[in-house]
Amino acid sequence: MQLDVIKSPSGPMRNFQTRATLLLAGILLVVAGPAWAQGTPGGQTEAYRSFPLIGSRLAVWGAAQLHLYFAAFILGVPMFAIIVEFIGWRTQDARYDWLARQFMKLTFAAYSATALLGGLLTFIFITLYPRFFGYLVEIFGPTMWVYAGLFFVETFTLYLYYYGWDWLSGPRKGIHLGLGVLLNIWGTILMFVANAWLTFMMSPSGVDEAGKLTSLWGAIYNPTWMPINVHRLIANITFGGAIVAAYAAFRFLGARTDEERAQYDWMGYVGNFVAVSSLLFLPFAGYWLGREIYAFNQTMGITMMGGFMSWLWVVQAILIGVLFIGSNYYLWLGMERIPGSERYRPYIPYLVMILAAGFIVWATPRSMVATLEETRAMGGTHHPVLGVLGVMSAKNTAVNLMILTTFVSFLLYRRANRVATVSWVRSGMTAQWIIMGVAAAVVTFYGVYGYFVESIVRIGFSVYQVLSVLAAIVCVMAIDFPMFRRARSTGAIRWGQIAPRSQYVLILLAVSFTWLMGLMGFARSGIRQHWHVYGILRDTSPEAVTPALGYAANMITAVTAIFLAFVVLIFWLGGLGERGAKG
Amino acid sequence: MRVPLIVKVGTFALAVMGVYAYYANSIPQIQSTLPEELSLEGGNVTPEQLVKAGEGIFKGKGTCEICHRIGQKGTRAPDLAGIGAAAAKRKPGMSAKAYIIESLLDPGAYLVEGYPGIMPKVDRPPIGLNRSELWATVAFLQSMAGTVDVKLDDIPKTAGAVVGAEGAAQGAELKLPGDPKAGQVVFMGKGACIACHKAGAIGASPIGPDLSQIAKIQTPEYIMAKILDPAGMGTVAGYPPNLMPPTLGQTLTAKEYIDLVSFLLTLKGEASAQAPAASKR
Repeated sequence: MQLDVIKSPSGPMRNFQTRATLLLAGILLVVAGPAWAQGTPGGQTEAYRSFPLIGSRLAVWGAAQLHLYFAAFILGVPMFAIIVEFIGWRTQDARYDWLARQFMKLTFAAYSATALLGGLLTFIFITLYPRFFGYLVEIFGPTMWVYAGLFFVETFTLYLYYYGWDWLSGPRKGIHLGLGVLLNIWGTILMFVANAWLTFMMSPSGVDEAGKLTSLWGAIYNPTWMPINVHRLIANITFGGAIVAAYAAFRFLGARTDEERAQYDWMGYVGNFVAVSSLLFLPFAGYWLGREIYAFNQTMGITMMGGFMSWLWVVQAILIGVLFIGSNYYLWLGMERIPGSERYRPYIPYLVMILAAGFIVWATPRSMVATLEETRAMGGTHHPVLGVLGVMSAKNTAVNLMILTTFVSFLLYRRANRVATVSWVRSGMTAQWIIMGVAAAVVTFYGVYGYFVESIVRIGFSVYQVLSVLAAIVCVMAIDFPMFRRARSTGAIRWGQIAPRSQYVLILLAVSFTWLMGLMGFARSGIRQHWHVYGILRDTSPEAVTPALGYAANMITAVTAIFLAFVVLIFWLGGLGERGAKG
Repeated sequence: MRVPLIVKVGTFALAVMGVYAYYANSIPQIQSTLPEELSLEGGNVTPEQLVKAGEGIFKGKGTCEICHRIGQKGTRAPDLAGIGAAAAKRKPGMSAKAYIIESLLDPGAYLVEGYPGIMPKVDRPPIGLNRSELWATVAFLQSMAGTVDVKLDDIPKTAGAVVGAEGAAQGAELKLPGDPKAGQVVFMGKGACIACHKAGAIGASPIGPDLSQIAKIQTPEYIMAKILDPAGMGTVAGYPPNLMPPTLGQTLTAKEYIDLVSFLLTLKGEASAQAPAASKR
C-alpha cells in the first residue's frame, strides 16, 4: 500500500488544496486586515484587546517566535540544498542529490506550519493590536500586496522544484537547479519585505514627526533594514544547517544498519559544516547591526549594550561559548573516524585553551548590579581587573580569536586523512601559519589599542579585526585547495563509526541555536522598550513593561520546546511516508 | 526497560534549555518599566522639590546618566559637575539658564569640544520629557554650583508637545458634547473645585494646583480620569495627597461631568484670564 503522501497521486493534490486554502486565508488576511483594523463604524479604533489566560503579549510573542523559527528553517535549508545539489550534479555523486532531496523534504514538511503560523500571527495583530496593525498597514500597505504575490510565486516554485525532481533530472538537471535558485530568490525577497516592517518598528524613517508616511522607500530602507537582512540571511543558513544536523543525529541514533548510520553521519556532518561555516560570519553581521543601531539612536544602542539589557549579553556569551566549543568538539570527535588524524591530536589541547580563554573573556560582564557591600569591595561599579575584560575591545578580540581557532579545527579535520604531495607544501604550510599568526596579531593589537582611544574610534577597530580574520580565512583556503588537490589519502573516512555522544553534540548545537535565536529576538524587540514603533507609536497597553531576563528566558524555553516538539512531529509524519513506502 | 530514543533526546533537549533558563533566572532581574508622567504645574513647588524631581528625571526617564557623569569624565558626553555655573561661560551672551534649556531642547546648537553630537532632543520621543519635567531637569542642572531660578514660563510652550502617530491621534481635537459655560458653573458650584483650584481669573486658593493651563499641559484622558479617580492618578508634587474628594465623579451627573471636562479643556493659559464665564461675572 502506498502511503507516502509525497509520491502518491492523491497526496500532492491533497497537500496542494490544503496549502492553497492556507494561502488564500493569508491573502484574505492581508486584504481584509486594514478594513478590520478600522474598528467601529464611528471610526474609533480600539487600541488593544486582551487574549484569554496568557494575555496579548505572550500570545503575540509565542506566535511571532514560532513563525520566525519555521520561517528561518524553510528559508535557510533551500539555500544549501541547492549548493549540495549543484555539487552532486558536477561531481556525479548521487549521495549529494539524495541529501539535497532529504533537505527539501524537511523544508516541504515545515512549509505549511510556517504559513499557518504566519496566518495566526496576522490574526493576533489584527484582533489584539488593531491600532498598531492599522498604522503598519497605512505605511506598508502596498508592500503587503507584494508579499502576498511573492508568497504565491514561491509556493508554486517550491512545488515545481520538489515534485519535478525526477522529471527534471539527467539532461534537464540545469533547469531544476535554476528552479532552486529562483526559489531562493523569492524566499529572500519575501524575507526582505517582512524585515522592512519589523526594522521600521526599531528605526523608523520615511515618516514625518507625526508618523505620517513621506516616502515608502524611505520606510523600507530604514537604517537597520539591510543589516538585519544580511544578519538573518546568514543566521537562517546556520539555523537550517543546525536543525538538519540534529535531524540526522536523531536518525543516526535510531539507525539499525551500518549503511543508515553512515548515511546520517554524513548528513549530520554536512549540516553542521554548513551551520558552522555560516556561523563564523554571523558576529560580523552582528557588529554591523549594532553599529547601525548606535548610529540611528545612541539611547537605543546604549540601552541595548549598557542599559537594562546589559545582562542579556552575558547569557548570550554562554550560548556562544557552547556553540563554539560544541562545534569544535564535534569536529575533534569526527576526526576519530578518520585514519591519519592522530597526527593532529597534540594540537587539540591548545585549541581548547584558546576557546576556553575566549569564552571566559566573552562571558565577563563590564558592570553589574551589585549590593553596596559588593560595590565597596570591588572599589567601584567595575571590578578592577575583570572589568577590563568586560568592554567590547576584549570581547571583539576574544570572539575573533575563537573564530580563527574554529577555522583551525576545520582545517585539521579537512586534512586529517590527506597528505599533501605538491612540491611547495612546506612553504605553503608556513605561509598559512604566518597568515593566521598575522591575523591573530592584528586582532590582538587592535584589541589592546582600543583601550587607549575614544569609543568613537574604538568602534571602527572592530572592522579591522573582522577584515583581518576574513582575509586570513580566504587566503588560507586559497592556498589549501591547490595544496591538497592531489593529496595522498591515508584512508577513507569511516562514516557511521563516530561516537554516539557526537550526535548529542549536534542536538545540543541545534537546541542552543534555536534558544539563542529566541534570546536575540527578545533583545531586538526589547530595545524598543515601551514603543511599538520607536519614537512614533507608544505602547500604551497594560503590558507595556519590558520584562526581565528570567521571564523572557522562561518564555523562550517554552516556545523553543513547542517548536522542537512541532519539528519532531513534522519529521515523524515525514517518516511515516518512508515507512509506508518500505512496507 | 529500554528508554525510547525520543524520550532520551527530548529529555536532553529540555535539560539543555533548562540550564539556560536557570542561568538567566539566577542573574539580576531588571525590567524596563513605563516612565511616569510628572506634573508640577501650579507654581507652589519649592526649588528644593523641583531639584529633587529633576534629579529623579536625570537618573530615570531622562536617561541622562547613560552618557553624562557628574564628577567623572565620560567618553560620550561632558561631565556635568558644576554645570550650573559653567553653563554661563559656554556661549557668550547667553545665561546659564538659557544655555541649559537650549542644550536640552536643541543639543546640536552647541557642542562641547571633543564630544560627538549624539544627544537627542529630550522633549521629543523616545525620551519625550514634558514641560514640567524639563522645568525640573533644568532646576537640577542649575543646582550644581548655580542658582535655581528657572520658572515654568522659561520653558518654551512648544516644548514637550506630543508627536508621533500617537501625538497625531491625540492632536485631533476632542469634541465633547459638553457646554463649557455650564461646566464653569459646576466648577464653581456643585463640584466645589473653586475651593482649592484656580482657573484663570476665577478662584485663588493655593490648596490645589493652578488649573489655568491644564488643557495645555495635560491630556483629556488624564483630566477625565483625575475627576473619576483622584487618588489613582497621583498627586502633583508639592501638594498634600488625598485632599481631592474621591466621590466627586459619582456625585456629578453625566451632563455635569461632560460639561466640567469641556470647561477644563478650554483652560489653555493664554486665555485663562478671560475664562468664558469669568468675563461675565
